[in-house]
Amino acid sequence: MAGSLTHARRSPSLSQAIRPSFLLPSVLALLALLSACGAEQDSGLARVRRTGELRWGADAQGGEPYAMEDPDAPGGMRGFEVELAEALARELGVRARFVQNDWSSLVPSLERGSFDVALNGLEVTPSRSGRILFTRPYYIFQLRLLARRDDAAVTGLDALKGQRVGTLANSLAWDLLRRSGVEAVPYEGVEEPYIDLEQGRVRAVLMDDIIAQRYGQPRPGLRVVGDVGDGYYAIAVRPGEEDLREALDTALRNIARSGELRAIFQRWGIDNAEQQRMVDWTDAQSREVLAPAQTARMGWGQWVLFLQAAGVTLLVSVGAMVLAIPLGVGLALTRLYGPGWAARLSTGYVELFRGTPVLLQLYVLYYGLAGVLRLDPISAAILGLGLNYAAYESEVYRAGVLAVPRGQLEAAMALGMPLRLALRRVILPQAFRVALPGVANDFIALLKDSSLVSVISVVELTKRMTITAVDVRSWLIPGALCALMYLAMSYPLSRLARHLEARLERG
Amino acid sequence: MIEVEKLSKRYEGRPVLEGINAVFSPGEVTALVGPSGGGKSTLLRCLNGLESFDAGVVRVGPDTLVPGDVRAQGEKVRRIRRRVGFVFQQWHLFAHRTALGNVTEAPMHVKGMGRPEANERGRALLAKVGLSHREDAYPSELSGGEQQRVAIARALAMEPEVLLMDEPTSALDPERVGALIDLLEQLLADGLTLVAVTHEMRFAYELASRVLVLHGGHIIEEGPPARVLANPHHERTRAFLGLGRVPALRTLGA
Repeated sequence: MAGSLTHARRSPSLSQAIRPSFLLPSVLALLALLSACGAEQDSGLARVRRTGELRWGADAQGGEPYAMEDPDAPGGMRGFEVELAEALARELGVRARFVQNDWSSLVPSLERGSFDVALNGLEVTPSRSGRILFTRPYYIFQLRLLARRDDAAVTGLDALKGQRVGTLANSLAWDLLRRSGVEAVPYEGVEEPYIDLEQGRVRAVLMDDIIAQRYGQPRPGLRVVGDVGDGYYAIAVRPGEEDLREALDTALRNIARSGELRAIFQRWGIDNAEQQRMVDWTDAQSREVLAPAQTARMGWGQWVLFLQAAGVTLLVSVGAMVLAIPLGVGLALTRLYGPGWAARLSTGYVELFRGTPVLLQLYVLYYGLAGVLRLDPISAAILGLGLNYAAYESEVYRAGVLAVPRGQLEAAMALGMPLRLALRRVILPQAFRVALPGVANDFIALLKDSSLVSVISVVELTKRMTITAVDVRSWLIPGALCALMYLAMSYPLSRLARHLEARLERG
Repeated sequence: MIEVEKLSKRYEGRPVLEGINAVFSPGEVTALVGPSGGGKSTLLRCLNGLESFDAGVVRVGPDTLVPGDVRAQGEKVRRIRRRVGFVFQQWHLFAHRTALGNVTEAPMHVKGMGRPEANERGRALLAKVGLSHREDAYPSELSGGEQQRVAIARALAMEPEVLLMDEPTSALDPERVGALIDLLEQLLADGLTLVAVTHEMRFAYELASRVLVLHGGHIIEEGPPARVLANPHHERTRAFLGLGRVPALRTLGA
């Protein structure tokens, strides 16, 4: 009954139950219920029927052919899963309502009750089976390996031992890659791995055939190596809502037998002979496919991976700061003392990098400019965050420089110092003293912002936590460990900042 | 040493200096006096390129400052500044450097002097201004009078031929003024040229060889202090000095 605490509802039968003769047993029953699962609530199916809606969670960013925004009908959705959701809702006698949710957090969002089911190319993996309920599968897909056309050495997974192979994090392909002894590189979108394959930043990409067909195979530089396994898409239901799962199983069987399911697949060009198995699918097959694997544990291996990820976080943060500090100083000084055009350029830089999301900047730097600037993920992460933080640093230093009395510069100039020398010897040392607490503060913020670089396939601390949380089917220990490691890095910095502030007040 | 010719400057449309002509000869001690807003400090700041001007020229030795942005005049301005030291009204000591550090900063980084030599000479200068015991103190730990002495030593460390002082007595306790005058007399014995903006008539009387009176951007009177201060020709000088105080000044000078 996990998850029921998060959306306890007032029971409609509670007031009827409270009558003198029933009071004691009722209270006891209520207490037992409260201790068991928080409070009584609608079961899954009853809730769907009562609200008249089947709320299905998916990520429109997943794109064609799953579920995406309809370019012809703003606000509307299209995709084979949109049609599937509508057919299933019709079978249940309700309306389907799409709920947008980031793909990587579909399962946690389902658990906390953001929607009734997750229906978005969710592959049946042992770790997911242990955490949530799956309906019978609705689609059988192939795991398709792609490599560069000019790279004939890639003949299969065996030929890729120790090589970087891209895929979606926590997907079936991800599990397979990690078992195969290759270096699995996690991505959060379907297009990015293929861009990186073209750029040579990964050696191969392993993804579901639907994705490969749409996003990989059309690229002229890439070729299909082959299919290395198959898997199933199924609908995820909250644990404890077996009645909803059974209703959906029935609905799925009905639309499979009526031919509607394959008709949907045909409309979206993803139908093949394999899908006939969906028609004759049995509960026994479901039990076999959906059997959860044994839960992985937080072993020493996980600790080592966490430490490595913390190292990546530290490397990216320190590298970005080392870049941001001199660049920030240059920007601040240019803005304050440079010629008009340079000062305007510097102001423009600050406004641009401070005024647009760093996530977008990382995307542009890593994927957008890949044709002219081929950076490896770590370098791109350091450069991207460094360029972004330079904008913030420049404002901290500008404030620091402005805090130095004007007479200091005049005094230096009156001694015959050129401007540069006066800035270096007189103004900056004093400005740094003022700016230091702000710089330390920014560095702590940077430590945490560095988690954004997971969008360009860098596995840092936060990404490691989400990967591990899926593996061990709990957020508790990985989350606590992740928080502890961030604290272990940021707390000494806070202390340093306080120490510097205290020294400044004395000085 | 310094020649000023037809120097004019406007500030926000208002004339501050209008056609100033003046010569500051080697070894001469000039007191710039006059009412507030008369242009004294502006003239002083024009003499070493701290302030730009709109017309005329300022000649310092072989170098000539011309109208327009001073920063665009580059190396020439820096050469002038090395020959013409400046002591600010509020001293502006480098807050992050000790007394000795303030004095050695420019010799080391502008002249390229080695640290041992700069330190030795810096200590000698601090001794000259009576601050040997304070060389490790930071400006925030020094009294106003001490800060001024460090500022003088800092300017002298560049071995200037001319020293410009902006209101040297205004931030001093009255009893310190005598000590400053004594110190400057001692320094002038070494042949230094001094130009000081001052409101302190005693300073002008005891130290200056010449007084320039500025009013409304013009030099309205010029001459030896005994004559200008005791018997001003110009009505405005009389008004500025205050008629009642003229006899008292005469007694003081006698």
